[in-house]
Amino acid sequence: MGWEYSEKTKQLFMDAVQGKPGTHLGEIENPDGVGEHGSIACGDAMRFTFRVKRHPSDPVQDVITEARYLTFGCTSAIASSEALCEIIESGSYSPVAALKIQNKDIVDYLEGLPEQKIHCSVMGAEALEAAVYNWAQRRGVDLKKLGINIHDDETAEGRVVCKCFSITEPYLKRKIRELNLRTIPQITSALKAGGGCMSCHHVPGGLQDILDEVWSGQAAAAAAKPLVPLSSLTIEHRTDITELSPFQFAKKVERVIDEFVRPGLARDGGDIEIVDIKETIIYCGMRGACKGCAGATRTMKLMVERILKEQVDERIRVIEV
Amino acid sequence: METAKIVYLDNNATTRVAPEVYEAMIPYFTEDYFNPSSMYEPARKTGLALAEARKNVADCIGCTDPKEIIFTGCATESNNAAIFGAARGNPERRHIITTTVEHPAVLEVCRELEREGYRVTWLNVDRDGNLNMREFIQALSPATLLVSIMHANNETGVVFPIDQLSRITKQTDPSIIFHTDATQTVGKLPINLVNGLPYVDMLSFSGHKLHAPKGVGVLFLRRGTRARPYLFGGHQAEGRRAGTENVPYIIGISKALCLAMEHMKEDEARIGHLRDRLEKSLLEKIPSSQVSGKGAARLPNTLNISFHYIEGEGMLFQLSGHGICASSGSACTSGSLEPSHVLRAMKVPFTAIHGSLRFSLSRYNTDEDIDYVLEVLPSVVANLRKLSPYWDNAKNAPRQPPHGG
Repeated sequence: MGWEYSEKTKQLFMDAVQGKPGTHLGEIENPDGVGEHGSIACGDAMRFTFRVKRHPSDPVQDVITEARYLTFGCTSAIASSEALCEIIESGSYSPVAALKIQNKDIVDYLEGLPEQKIHCSVMGAEALEAAVYNWAQRRGVDLKKLGINIHDDETAEGRVVCKCFSITEPYLKRKIRELNLRTIPQITSALKAGGGCMSCHHVPGGLQDILDEVWSGQAAAAAAKPLVPLSSLTIEHRTDITELSPFQFAKKVERVIDEFVRPGLARDGGDIEIVDIKETIIYCGMRGACKGCAGATRTMKLMVERILKEQVDERIRVIEV
Repeated sequence: METAKIVYLDNNATTRVAPEVYEAMIPYFTEDYFNPSSMYEPARKTGLALAEARKNVADCIGCTDPKEIIFTGCATESNNAAIFGAARGNPERRHIITTTVEHPAVLEVCRELEREGYRVTWLNVDRDGNLNMREFIQALSPATLLVSIMHANNETGVVFPIDQLSRITKQTDPSIIFHTDATQTVGKLPINLVNGLPYVDMLSFSGHKLHAPKGVGVLFLRRGTRARPYLFGGHQAEGRRAGTENVPYIIGISKALCLAMEHMKEDEARIGHLRDRLEKSLLEKIPSSQVSGKGAARLPNTLNISFHYIEGEGMLFQLSGHGICASSGSACTSGSLEPSHVLRAMKVPFTAIHGSLRFSLSRYNTDEDIDYVLEVLPSVVANLRKLSPYWDNAKNAPRQPPHGG
């Protein structure tokens, strides 16, 4: 499908992997703020750290001077991380002001991202938010008092809607509003939610319901619901063609094999394994010295099948496995 | 970033058209362009060439009756025709057995039938990529209509024992149809539908995986198999696949098969040696790497290797900058948000599943190609590990314990 990345994205990625001067890979020791987002299981993860120039009396007026990242992810995830650090370092932001940086700013800085890669920019904004929250705790800043509500929905308290990517309902609702997401494909592009097994799309309390609830009525046209699979039409009719129960039948087969077949094979250092029994078909394989022997197929047919026919049931067939 | 040199190691995706194949096709565009069904003398010549190609294709896969060869547009069409055709030809049976690691051209067709009410048994594989024979046998039921199991996996190269699976199927119940998608094996492994695989009823493959162009495929349909046609509207291929034959491309696939037969023994050994060297050296040079399907029978040309704690797409992007073409099963290259269904089925650990690369070789690859990859790839991996939150660069080992996850 090729890469539809902007020149800026490619440039930032290559500069980063080659460790050019001025790039931001790494981790600040004893940082003033640290935040993580994503996980290795989901395919991308970022660890973001920053250092501030501390204001002598008012921590709210701290200024971010240095930002670094470590990112596990694709080209655009790494370029987004680089972009976030460049935006922050060039803007002399206070941590609180940095919260205004949205994923859209990262996308703009990268001169656009393919639709299916938008979640990479969201990851950057999320890691930044987490790092600012961490800074606030370290510096004793009460973000709530400043009218900023973050992180109270990040905890595991919310109901998990997308199980593939562990995404909760409160988080989804907030992000749907913030990013103005109107359709399930948009949610998947931005947040990954619903991009795995897709079973959360149209179930009660699923993505479509949440969209409907958030935009209450003015939701985008609902996607056609998938057909409900018909229940299986197959009926397993097990006609018992022997007078024995399947269990008795299997026992008898085993006994006959123990008694009449195994001793003969054992003389040649071989053995036989019953893999399965289905009605009157016996699936078995040669083991030990007999395994892979050119005569095994003949032995099966001529000896094993004949003995079983005689001793157990005329209708028995033996299939070599 | 621009380099003239291209090292092409993505031959399970498509192959370069062999110059001999291209040469053989040209007359059927320029001079012998006639409809092979037409009556006049020049068209008869085209018709004969088509018949000869059909016979040759049959010979190359050890099939004695050219009428059992149906030319299609691609392996995807062959698979669709086989599975839908079998289902429509046997409406009294409603159960299909396939595997979780099939190519989407089989997987999605079976899912579609599942939506229509068919019961589908999805056989799983173990960590090496092998099927469990007992599970397979247990799945066979009186309602089973079709078994569709690929010959070799396109992502890992793991080869399934189709000879054994088809024999067990037909010995259990001759009415069950056995189909195999052999797209990755025709031209690479010897295939004989009379002596080696006498129990296979349907076999699909395409031209562009064996140095013929894209746009031509084959469905082998054994005489007497109950299957309905898929395309209607003409008498071609005995009415089993309507549509004017794509003569130049059919000539192309026929020529490509000849070349494959000619080179198979030599290719298998030489390519296998190149792959083994690549595999061994990468495992030695790059810590925390693992090969998928290492414990199974594998195609000699395929290497699926994962590097822990990094993501495949960033590797492909850098390799591409060096002129190396490969592919990855990472989520970011799959077109969906989930990594390869094959690697997931094999339970590749989550630290490695996003960092997979597939190298697939062809007869056009050389020792120099392998040297070049060995020169470039270690630094490509190291570059990304420097950025990875899960990698300790001082120790050149994973961080203990890894964050997140």
